[in-house]
Amino acid sequence: MPGPASDSSPSGALVLSSWEAREVVYPIRHELKPPIARLSISWARGNSFRVSIFTQHPANHTSDSNDGEVGGQVLEVKIRNGDGEISAAEFRRIAYGSVSPFALLQSRKHMVSGLSKMSMGLPRFNPDGWEYLAEYSKDISSVIGNPKLIPSSAIEDPLEILKKVEEPTCLKAAWELMDVFYADKQSHWWLNERLVDWLAEYDSVLSTTQSTIHSKLVDFQKELNNLQVVEDNPRYWDVILSALAVGWQEIVVKMLRLHGSYQLDQLSRRETENGLVEAVAFLISEMPRMRPELDSGKFGQCFKTKPDFTKAWEKWRSKITKLDGSGFWVHCTHVQTRKGLQNMLRIILGDVESLSGATCNWMELYISQLLYVRPFSMGLESMYNLAEKCMQLKPASNTDRLMALIIGILGESPEIVLAECSRGFGPWMATHAMELLIEENDEAETLLHEERHDLGGVSIEELHRLVYAQVLCSHAFTWQIAPIYLTSCAKQGIGFLETLLYSQAVQHNGVLLKNLEICRLYELDSLSSNIMKIAGVYHWKHGRKGCGVFWLKQARDEVRLNKIAQQLFDSVGKSISDESFKQWEGLIELLGSESKNTGGLEFLHKYRDFKKSLHQVHQKGKTTGAAQSAVDSLIALMKNPSTPQRFWLPILNDSLKLIDWHGGPLLNTEQTNLLLNKLQELSMAKLRPDFVESDLPPLALSSIRLALAKNLGRAFLEGC
Amino acid sequence: MEKAMATFHKGTLCSAWNYSSTRLATASSDGTLVIFDSPHPSSSSTSFTPTSNFKAHEVAITKIVWVPPEYGDSVACICSDGTSSLWEEVVEDAQPLQWKLCKLFKSNSSQILDLQFGNSSSGLKMIAAFSDGYIKVYELMDPLNLKNWQLQAEFQNVIDSISTVRKSSCSSASISWNPHRGEQQSSFVIAFSSNTPQLNSAKVWEFDQAHHRWLPVAELALTAEKGDEVYAVAWAQNIGRPYEVIAVATQRGIAIWHLGLSPDMDGRLSRERVALLSGHNGEVWEMEWDMGGMTLASTGKDGMVRLWQSNLNGVWHQHAAFEPTS
Repeated sequence: MPGPASDSSPSGALVLSSWEAREVVYPIRHELKPPIARLSISWARGNSFRVSIFTQHPANHTSDSNDGEVGGQVLEVKIRNGDGEISAAEFRRIAYGSVSPFALLQSRKHMVSGLSKMSMGLPRFNPDGWEYLAEYSKDISSVIGNPKLIPSSAIEDPLEILKKVEEPTCLKAAWELMDVFYADKQSHWWLNERLVDWLAEYDSVLSTTQSTIHSKLVDFQKELNNLQVVEDNPRYWDVILSALAVGWQEIVVKMLRLHGSYQLDQLSRRETENGLVEAVAFLISEMPRMRPELDSGKFGQCFKTKPDFTKAWEKWRSKITKLDGSGFWVHCTHVQTRKGLQNMLRIILGDVESLSGATCNWMELYISQLLYVRPFSMGLESMYNLAEKCMQLKPASNTDRLMALIIGILGESPEIVLAECSRGFGPWMATHAMELLIEENDEAETLLHEERHDLGGVSIEELHRLVYAQVLCSHAFTWQIAPIYLTSCAKQGIGFLETLLYSQAVQHNGVLLKNLEICRLYELDSLSSNIMKIAGVYHWKHGRKGCGVFWLKQARDEVRLNKIAQQLFDSVGKSISDESFKQWEGLIELLGSESKNTGGLEFLHKYRDFKKSLHQVHQKGKTTGAAQSAVDSLIALMKNPSTPQRFWLPILNDSLKLIDWHGGPLLNTEQTNLLLNKLQELSMAKLRPDFVESDLPPLALSSIRLALAKNLGRAFLEGC
Repeated sequence: MEKAMATFHKGTLCSAWNYSSTRLATASSDGTLVIFDSPHPSSSSTSFTPTSNFKAHEVAITKIVWVPPEYGDSVACICSDGTSSLWEEVVEDAQPLQWKLCKLFKSNSSQILDLQFGNSSSGLKMIAAFSDGYIKVYELMDPLNLKNWQLQAEFQNVIDSISTVRKSSCSSASISWNPHRGEQQSSFVIAFSSNTPQLNSAKVWEFDQAHHRWLPVAELALTAEKGDEVYAVAWAQNIGRPYEVIAVATQRGIAIWHLGLSPDMDGRLSRERVALLSGHNGEVWEMEWDMGGMTLASTGKDGMVRLWQSNLNGVWHQHAAFEPTS
């Protein structure tokens, strides 16, 4: 996702921090020549906006002298989310992937809260809550991605001390950290070892500003191929101590085996030295670990209970002490090796000074102490105190976001944790991590669920979800999943959703149908009809009248349908082409007649029948059968009270040919009298002020009158 | 971060996006109106190209306003001579789709400074602010026909309706409708920049259905600052807040006001200024709220785009600033 300079994304702080924003000015690069006369701004969907930039032009400018010159430009600016570590496409993948775990968790929470209400207020009736949460956390974690081993050759390279893996993301590291502390409560008895594992996996992304043990190893790996006698190189021992400090035992053992004393030609001269190296390697690989198991290829003995572990731990340490005090050291003539090995013993004996010297930052020092100094899990408070001590020993000029996050976690401050999630990792993280924070934590629940007047009556939880939904809205590919998050917002979610749906363009059928489907799903009936209304007017105005009427009918927009019916009336009594008649007829058909308010439609339908039969009379020539059915339509029309008076004369005028039928009278006496009466009524109505004069020729009335008289006379004669 | 979407002709003075941000209208000093569309409409961020280009006026067009989509694809132009016109894209009488003039608004004695459309349940209303300090409210008679407007009300932007201000001269005005859709009563906020102090301050007007008249329900200015000329006003989208939020820009800065929802005994709404944001150090050109009504964007004479937000403690601050550079 594009965004401003990497360490100062404006969306990082967003609404959600309690800090004031920094005075950073981001550039908007354009291709115009200064000076700029004016800027115009318009929000697009979500958190992107558009800026129109207009250049100043000379006063004597005439429109044709500068043709082709650019007078301005419009640019879209997307306020970036996160730090740019994750590409836009990857973000969309994560966004889509996290929808279903989120929705599942919400529905389970909903169910559980329903159950606990039923169980008469028993405190937190939530037997499976942890499992749900752990499952959610694992699901999300797998969505963010797993670091994959890059396949290497079948024969193991003895010089390859670091296994090649795809670089993990900082986001993943943060999520895993949250998982360790908040989701996977069943593993809390071996929290220390989990943190050791965590560091082993994510040390490479721990800091962007300070060196790490991982970066030291990477550098040394590059050097390694060119080193002849590794044990003479102080960097060799330095790197071994560092790796040992944070518990990367398999790397340490592998590196020790590169020691020159293992070489065949050295056996006779350096056997004591080699024995010591191997003894240390053995001790390291025998280290008791307070954890259920170790991955294959990792060293150590696992213990699940404290007494067993303590016993093994004491025994192991006594072996170290014994080795440390043994007389063999005197016979080790290689100074670097002797010092290096003894330093290693100091590390595994938990000497803080040695640990501090071997680690690069306070976080590594902290985890090394959890491994060698305080291997038993302890309360968060003492963990925090220990962290503080480590920070004093290894102060950092600026705090990296992962370290800031762990300080927040250890400090047991949900507010800081959430702020760090939001600031460091963006709205996606904040929204999804809140679920972990809130479970069984009253302080977090109060903090996140309390409605705040300053925030417009919403809770912090809702605010974060709204902000994330806004991010989703800004892209054409992700707006469709925003409703899932918005509907979990009790106060403002639906209002936001309505705004989002209203601002979708209706002219694209696909979007329109998707839009209406979402409306149906969340029962947004009035919005749905409004959208259909917009679509109806759009199509009507753009010449697709049928489509327009269809959507207006769907919208039940009586007012506009009535106006359309009125427009159709305008064609009454006018001669229209076959083409427009067909269109006109089709529209009447579409308008239907079930609608209550469009009373005039009944008339239009009858008039349509009449016009149709009249058409046939004109087309088929002078067949009396067709003419007779036209007369029937005429009489039906004139008898019907819904036929507006203003149309009587045009209709009769249209029917002149029928009334004055060459092959004998088509209307009987009664029918003729009906029409004569209508004519009489019309001449009376003419005297009234509200009479609408039709635009027929003045003689029309008298010629109708004459034709009717003739017909009446002939009807008499035929004795009808 | 930024992505060029389209370039404008020489002399272009203003632009406006439609409701879905998928069409752009621009207008120039020679009265030409240009409509831009995207060739791939499903993706909102592709480049836009002109699809219509026509001469709407003989004079410069200084502002364009889109009509709400319930009334079709239509824009209003405000011209430098104080007239205003309404154009609509429509197929009529077997002619191809084209932009047609529907209506010309002009007044002999004064000029139109700003206009805005409000879409209420009773139909489309248009508020126009005139250079003599008068506000005119027009109503559309037929929702399918933009030619037919009726003047519904005419009044001055003063709280006390008895005193009529004569001979005032306003240089600019700014109107913003309450963006709420639905059954709620129509209301808008309007402010002027004029030589008559009592006209200037931003006032919220609400339509009183029972007496069929517009009433001022709040004045958004501190007592000492009532005469301040106002550059711009912007009413925030309210998606569920128990109060409205309105931004008012004067030379003192951008004031953020909270406006209560229910009137007191006198029919006034409670209001509170929660922030006064300085940054542009001078004239504010435009302000617009985002879709959630949480972030205010503004542009001003300092040539910057600034975004403003409230933090978790309700304290308003500048969230980000952007400076166009070549």
